Parts: sequence; structure tokens; C-alpha cells
Amino acid sequence: MFAQFFGSYLLSKNAVSPEQLTAAITKLADTHIKLGTLAMHKGYMTASEVDEVCFLQTREDKRFGEIALERNYLFEDQLEDLLKSQNPDYLLLGQTLVDSGVISNTDLETLMVGYQAENKLEEAPSEDANQEETQTLIMNFFEAADEQLSDEALMYMNLIFNNLVRFIGEDFTPLAPVACTSYDTNYCVTQSISGPINVTSGIDMEEDVAIAFASRYAKMEFHVFDEYVKASLEDFLNLHNGLFSVNMSNAYSTEVALDPPMHNDVPTYKMDKGSFVIPVIYPFGTIYLILAM
Amino acid sequence: MGKENVKILVGDDSILARKQLKDTILKFEESVEFIDAANGQEAVDLYLKEKPNIVFLDIVMPIKDGIAAVSEIIQNDPSALIVMVSSVGTQVQLKAAIEAGAKDFVQKPINPDQIKNVLASHLK
Repeated sequence: MFAQFFGSYLLSKNAVSPEQLTAAITKLADTHIKLGTLAMHKGYMTASEVDEVCFLQTREDKRFGEIALERNYLFEDQLEDLLKSQNPDYLLLGQTLVDSGVISNTDLETLMVGYQAENKLEEAPSEDANQEETQTLIMNFFEAADEQLSDEALMYMNLIFNNLVRFIGEDFTPLAPVACTSYDTNYCVTQSISGPINVTSGIDMEEDVAIAFASRYAKMEFHVFDEYVKASLEDFLNLHNGLFSVNMSNAYSTEVALDPPMHNDVPTYKMDKGSFVIPVIYPFGTIYLILAM
Repeated sequence: MGKENVKILVGDDSILARKQLKDTILKFEESVEFIDAANGQEAVDLYLKEKPNIVFLDIVMPIKDGIAAVSEIIQNDPSALIVMVSSVGTQVQLKAAIEAGAKDFVQKPINPDQIKNVLASHLK
């Protein structure tokens, strides 16, 4: 989860453009973390030392670790630690942006420190971050957009991002939530939750994006915008809301009722005050999460 | 059931969920005749007409939800073999389904092993 929100952090700091970020996200799968990025993240080396070793690697046929040891930029035990340590996933995104020339190592060093401080991350959060850590992440994400979430709404958003990772894929970046009372729809599916809390949530996307989204969700290859594609959007939302109702029942002993998901066939969707839309960028296109209170 | 055709009613408002469940069942059962229902009312009507061997029913459906459909089917045929398949696996829903007469509960997203076990334990 930390890579996804590191992306939105970079956007909020104007360190990258959405296009640069999307390009980096699509490259992630083929990228491997480098020792220099890790060393910088652990605070063992500075950005300029990493740059220098990288430069020297173009002159000498030696590994990064060897040169860093020779120059006394790293100690043996630090090198060992780096070689066996687990990497937080957002480092890879940062490194990809450096490799593409979008930001420098010095920028990355500063941005990493800022991101970690803002989200109270441990020195090296593991990839299986716990619920509490991702909750802080999401709270900060909303606070940056001046949105305050109730505990239930926070749980809701935490779960939906986790479900996107689980059922669609982790290669996304959410953009800042936009408060709104009306929203111009593409293909929009909504579902109402009623009971102690009343929320209507939805997902909206263009038809060609829906085809790609559905192909991932159903693990089938769809090529046309047909009833299976439409059902995939409804099923994802219904599955997510079902899991949310299970969480509400377990965490708060609160029972909520779900209406069936439905295609919201209106050009403009009207919502009450306090509602918001979150654009989420995937390499195949942008999906819009809607939460209407 | 032996080598005879097994008649299975699949009630879910999602055409995709029905397909995924039927595809999964076909991994474990060879001769199956499927009956599709897209809401709770259709499930009740088709049950009475077709008398399937087993029913898989979603809970959140339009027109009539799965729990209400179970009650109606059981009223007509107390021996009906109904398995709920839903993402809403709360204790309250589970209890309501069992009280209405459902014999089993499968949490979505469906896991093929779970479907295999359900078929093995109920279709002897």
C-alpha cells in the first residue's frame, strides 16, 4: 500500500506530473530495487555518495557494494544488512522515477524523509504493513485534501484500497479526494448501504477502462463492453461492500443492509454535502471511486 | 446421485458470478444440468418447476433477496438443499440463512475447494 500513496504524496508535492507517475507505475513490474536506493533509504549513504558510486560503476567493472566499501561509504555489516533486508514497496517507485530522469537521487532522499515523517513510518516498513499503518496513511491522504473521515469511513476507504490491491492489482495511484455534490458519470455503478450508517458508494469509469478493469477482476479476457463487463463492476463493488459489512459486524457489532448494486443511468449524479470522488490511476486508465454520504 | 444428471439451480443477479460458480462446479461434477435464476423470485419459481437437486443462492438480490427465497422454497419443500453464496458473511446473515433453512454457507469470493467440499458433502 505504501507505493500507491507515495505516488499521491509525490503529486501533492508537485514533484512529478500525473503522466510521469503513470509511466513509472507501468514500468514497476520490470524494475528491481538497487542497493544504492536501499542504502539511501536506510540512511547509510547520502544521495551524492550514491550518485558518485553509480558514476564510478561506469568506469570500473565492479559491483555497487564493492565500490561503496572501498570508498568507506558503507561498512561490511551495513552492506550485509542491505543485502538481506526487506524493501518497502514505495522505494521501487521512487527509484523508477530517478531512472526515468523525472527526479534526482537528492530529490528522492528529501521526498522519502518527508513521506516517512508524515506517515510515521518505521525506518523500514515491511510490505505486509498492518491495518493500523495503512489507516494512518489513508487518514493523511484525506487530511492533505482537508477531508476529515469518521472511523467507519476510514475503515471503508482502507478496505477499498486493499480490495483494489487484492482484486484488481497494486499498480495504481489514488489522486486527492475531490469534495463534490454532483458528478458527471461515464459508466457508473452504485450500491447503497443502510442501517446505523447510510452511505452510497460507487465506481465509475469509461467503457474501455471498464473492459480492462473487468478483465483483471474476473481473470478473463474481455474485448467488448458487454454484460459480463458490467457485471464485473457490480460484483467488485458488491464484494467490497459485503466485506465491509463483515468488518462492521466484527469491529463494531453493527449490522448494515446492502441494496443490490445497480447501474446508475444518469448523466449527472447528485450527492449530498460531504460526498467525494477519488480518481485512481491505473496503467489501463482512471477509475473514480464515489462515496456519497 | 451416482451417474445420473445432477440438476443445479444457481441464483445470483450477476451473470458473471453465475458463470464463475458454474465453471467451478463443472470442475468437480461431470453431468450437470444448470438452471439460472437472476433474482430471488425467479429462484423460487424455478425451484418449484424444476425441483433441482441442489440450489446455490446469493443473498443480496433485487426483487426478492436470497434469505426470503430460502424461506419460500423450504415452505414448499422442507427437504430442499440450499447453499448460500454471499460476500455478506456476517454472523447475523449466517444465522438468518440457517434459520430460514439453508444447509450451508459459502463466502465470496468463492474458493474452488470450498465448492468441492460442499458438493461432496451434500450430493452423495
